[in-house]
Amino acid sequence: MPDFRIEHITRYTYPSPVRDSANQIILYPIHDEYQEVIRQELHITGDPVVDTFIDYYGNEVGTFTYSQQHTSLTISSKLSVTTRQRPLPGNDIFPEQQWEDLKRLSQMVPYIDFLKPEYFDGIKELQAIVKSERSKEDTPSQVALRFCRYVYENFEYVKGVTTVETTMDEIWKLRAGVCQDFAHILTIMLRLVNIPARYVSGYICTNRHHTLRGEGATHAWAEAYIPDYGWLGIDPTNNCIANDTHVRLAVGRNFLDCSPVRGVYKGSSDHKLEVAVSVGYEDEAHHGSFLQEENTKAPDFKPVDDRPKNSYQQYMEMLQQQQQQQQQ
Amino acid sequence: MQESAYFKEYHPISGVWDEMYGDAGIRAHYTKVIEYLSRESSDDLTRKEELAKRLFMSQGITFTVYSSGEGIEKIFPFDIIPRIITADEWSFVEKGIKQRLRALNLFLKDIYDNQFIVKDGIVPIDIIYSCPHFLREMYKLQVPYNIYVHIAGIDLIRDHDGTFYVLEDNLRTPSGVSYMLENREITKRLFPDLLPQCGVRSVMEYPSILYKNLLSLSPRQISNPNIVLLSPGIYNSAYFEHTTLARLMGVELVEGRDLVVKDQKVYMKTTVGLQQVDVIYRRVDDEYLDPLVFNPSSILGVAGIMGAYRKGNVAIVNAIGNGVADDKAIYIYVPEMIKYYLGEEPLLKNVPTYQLGNEDERQYVFANINKMVVKKTNESGGYGMLMGHAASEEETEKYKKEILKAPRNFIAQPTISLSAAPCYIQGALHPRRIDLRPYALCGPDGIEIVPGGLTRVALKEGSLVVNSSQGGGSKDTWVLA
Amino acid sequence: MLSRVASSLYWLSRYVERSDGILRMLKINYASSQDTVQEFTWEPIIRIFAGHDEETAKLGNDSRAVIRYMVTGKSNPNSILNIITFARENARGVQEHITKDLWQCLNEYYHTVKDNRLENALKKDDPIGVLDVLIKQVMLYYGTVEITMERGEGRSFMNIGTYLERGIQSVDILDAKFVSIDDNPDLLRDTTYWKHLLLSLGGYEIYLKTYRTGFEAENVLEQVVLNNDFPRSVIYSVNHIQRYFERLKSDSNLDSSRELSFLIGRLQSHIRYSSVKTIEDEGLHTFLTQIRTQLFGIGDALNIHYFANS
Repeated sequence: MPDFRIEHITRYTYPSPVRDSANQIILYPIHDEYQEVIRQELHITGDPVVDTFIDYYGNEVGTFTYSQQHTSLTISSKLSVTTRQRPLPGNDIFPEQQWEDLKRLSQMVPYIDFLKPEYFDGIKELQAIVKSERSKEDTPSQVALRFCRYVYENFEYVKGVTTVETTMDEIWKLRAGVCQDFAHILTIMLRLVNIPARYVSGYICTNRHHTLRGEGATHAWAEAYIPDYGWLGIDPTNNCIANDTHVRLAVGRNFLDCSPVRGVYKGSSDHKLEVAVSVGYEDEAHHGSFLQEENTKAPDFKPVDDRPKNSYQQYMEMLQQQQQQQQQ
Repeated sequence: MQESAYFKEYHPISGVWDEMYGDAGIRAHYTKVIEYLSRESSDDLTRKEELAKRLFMSQGITFTVYSSGEGIEKIFPFDIIPRIITADEWSFVEKGIKQRLRALNLFLKDIYDNQFIVKDGIVPIDIIYSCPHFLREMYKLQVPYNIYVHIAGIDLIRDHDGTFYVLEDNLRTPSGVSYMLENREITKRLFPDLLPQCGVRSVMEYPSILYKNLLSLSPRQISNPNIVLLSPGIYNSAYFEHTTLARLMGVELVEGRDLVVKDQKVYMKTTVGLQQVDVIYRRVDDEYLDPLVFNPSSILGVAGIMGAYRKGNVAIVNAIGNGVADDKAIYIYVPEMIKYYLGEEPLLKNVPTYQLGNEDERQYVFANINKMVVKKTNESGGYGMLMGHAASEEETEKYKKEILKAPRNFIAQPTISLSAAPCYIQGALHPRRIDLRPYALCGPDGIEIVPGGLTRVALKEGSLVVNSSQGGGSKDTWVLA
Repeated sequence: MLSRVASSLYWLSRYVERSDGILRMLKINYASSQDTVQEFTWEPIIRIFAGHDEETAKLGNDSRAVIRYMVTGKSNPNSILNIITFARENARGVQEHITKDLWQCLNEYYHTVKDNRLENALKKDDPIGVLDVLIKQVMLYYGTVEITMERGEGRSFMNIGTYLERGIQSVDILDAKFVSIDDNPDLLRDTTYWKHLLLSLGGYEIYLKTYRTGFEAENVLEQVVLNNDFPRSVIYSVNHIQRYFERLKSDSNLDSSRELSFLIGRLQSHIRYSSVKTIEDEGLHTFLTQIRTQLFGIGDALNIHYFANS
């Protein structure tokens, strides 16, 4: 029953003052029998009122605005979390029965949302791989772990080669990326064999003896739905089951449903993003240091009405948007 | 009855319901107008036509067409001969639309809450969850009085025997109501005294009913809440309508950049600081409304507005997420919805519709494509359509390929022979195809439909497409008392 | 009033006023180009209203080419065509806040500039006649504003726009004319030179009535900067900015109005307590640069405090 202390700091700095920023944060760990939040302190520049609600996927989401002019915005979350190890699914049930059960789920809420493999150019290729990796006698959880290993072994963990905007096609060509990309591919593979798969964002917590990939930033992995068991966390970046070393923040269909911090503001399009996540056991001191965004993909942070860039293009964009509004 | 020269040339199209001409000659409800017109020479009528054009132009009732970077202002063609609807026909249409809207509203409430209709297998879950306008952000979100569709523009057409059919339900940002109002104003000028003589019901109440409904939605119980009309801006084709409605209701016309969200409340930026906004009648699409939640590159929206909406601090009209109810693939299930929610038989019929996502229906449609109209489920305004009987083989093949890429996004309907009404074209009356869009307003007191609407007309001979983008025009629409 | 509406009314007025200034400058300079013995140059006009680039360099000193570039040039952001298009777009976005008459008037101005016949006339007919047609459109516009517009907040923003633009133009024109003197001191005694400056500002007749000693640089300077009764003097513009700004004050925007009041008051005193002598001591160019900066400062402050464009 490990207790973790997590400190997650996100900081945006702008070369010139910006204003009217509206933000959304998904930084509240999930509460359930395997994960308990003892304490959370949230500090945000300007001390805005953070309004929270539960979204469609059951995540707690906070929103806030910061309208005054500012040149930096820091969101700091300090957490104390206790996790409990969850027993793994047994493999004693007949596999055929489990696959049958999965078929029934495909027309049910919420599973329907986690079963649509998105289309990309390499889908045929991936389908072939999925077919060869899977053997008839396997249970869904065995298949899921096999796919996890496949991603781990066939994709290179390289920071900075992908961004939020990198498409699946590009990732597929690169055969490389960070945890978000690994999780993304795994969800597609699982969905191709009709296993509901969702994307998870959260933190990975250092094992006292060796380090894991994905530390120092927010981490991402996948969950597969196993009949008679529930959602099983699988971390393709570290080729392991995501259990009591993984602290879950949010689940969704993809990265966009779970992005920890996103926002829009008015002003300069330039900004610098720094993210630091440090994790320690409750009984030890720890230090975090800022990392530039290479370790994790920059969360969605966009300027609206970005005039300084090129007024003409801005104007044409506005013209186009205004014209394309459907007036039914 | 005396018939002047331009009537002799009137030949109803065979096999088509003619609004003016029946088996026994001119229908009773058209006789007074015909008598009036018979006293006018064709020169008189041509002069009236010119007067109408001039009035539209000088009042700036125009829409802008953009080509090669330059905007050209055009008037929406107006045909001077009114389209007339009898009291009986209207009462049926009115009941039918109210029934349909009640069901659609309940459907939206249900689909964003308990989803009973899906659990009971009436509407397939797939079709809902694959609809891009089914917004998960709306799930369990409380809207005032559970009203989602405040303004509806349901398109009706009449088949060869005069039966009314619903062609599509426009539940997001239905437009054209300003033409209903302006057309009537012009008719008053063109045919003095004729409206009262014929007993034509007034449509002028529309802005005040809409205003009353908007007012009732204000979350703040204050005497003078701020109601605004949110327009995409001057480059939108319906900008004229936005200014007209804002003026007639006396509400502020705003653009996204005029608004800002602070602590879950929406404010407008004024010269004396921020003022809280209570009700927004928006003419901006869902996807552009909040760059924080939807399309991040939108410059027409207001970042954070979804949060204010969720908290109930601002009312948005029409509600967000209505697109799931007027998706053309979901349209197929509206008659079932009426039975399911209301326990009633639908009054207004649906046009038979094939969902191309279903393999067998798709094959049937492909085999009979020259008798079909194929449409994209999420487009309106006559864009992206294939008129099977008129398309070349090449066009058809190209379109089929398009369909196969995403069959869920297409439906097909057998070509319906729209009814025809007389139009004054080059000095004589000729039958042209028409449809009808009444405007329904839902408020806490129920559904009200002003007696009238927009009659769109396909001015090109033989054309079945009435959309303004495709050479359509409009007529004043008379509902008789 | 919505900030955007206020801003649109302000810019609408600035654009129309700018078009007026350009047209009058063009008219007088064209006339001047027809009767100067000395080398006539369009250079200062181009410098003020268009700036230097490859395209303006190509125009050379060809009067028709310059006028066409300034009136109907699509690639010149300050051409009358483009300015009036902007003015009309601003007006279109605030149609419920201006009178129908004003909208139609502006529409007519726009259609006149867009008409191909105008371009053709500029190619071969008398350019002064063409410019007069357009100047008349501006006068119609001002008459319509005067007669139809409600005397409220909106009109105050319109007037502030008009006078701010006018003040900036008068400063620019003076500066350009006097800078030329630095290069060519003979101009100081060139009667036609000053006559044209006054004509282009519509101040010739007032000058004749005020000064009986002929054309002297000091007197011209005094009239264009310090004459309270000359509608194109800098002080006249600033006085009117002050006058219409006073009408905007209300209890709910004390902080913002205080800053603007200060800026306007400071500028007004700066000019009012200057004389030809102090200006010359300070250096004309320095003086004009300061005034210009302060006028722009007022524009910036309006942007921040009233138009919500910080």
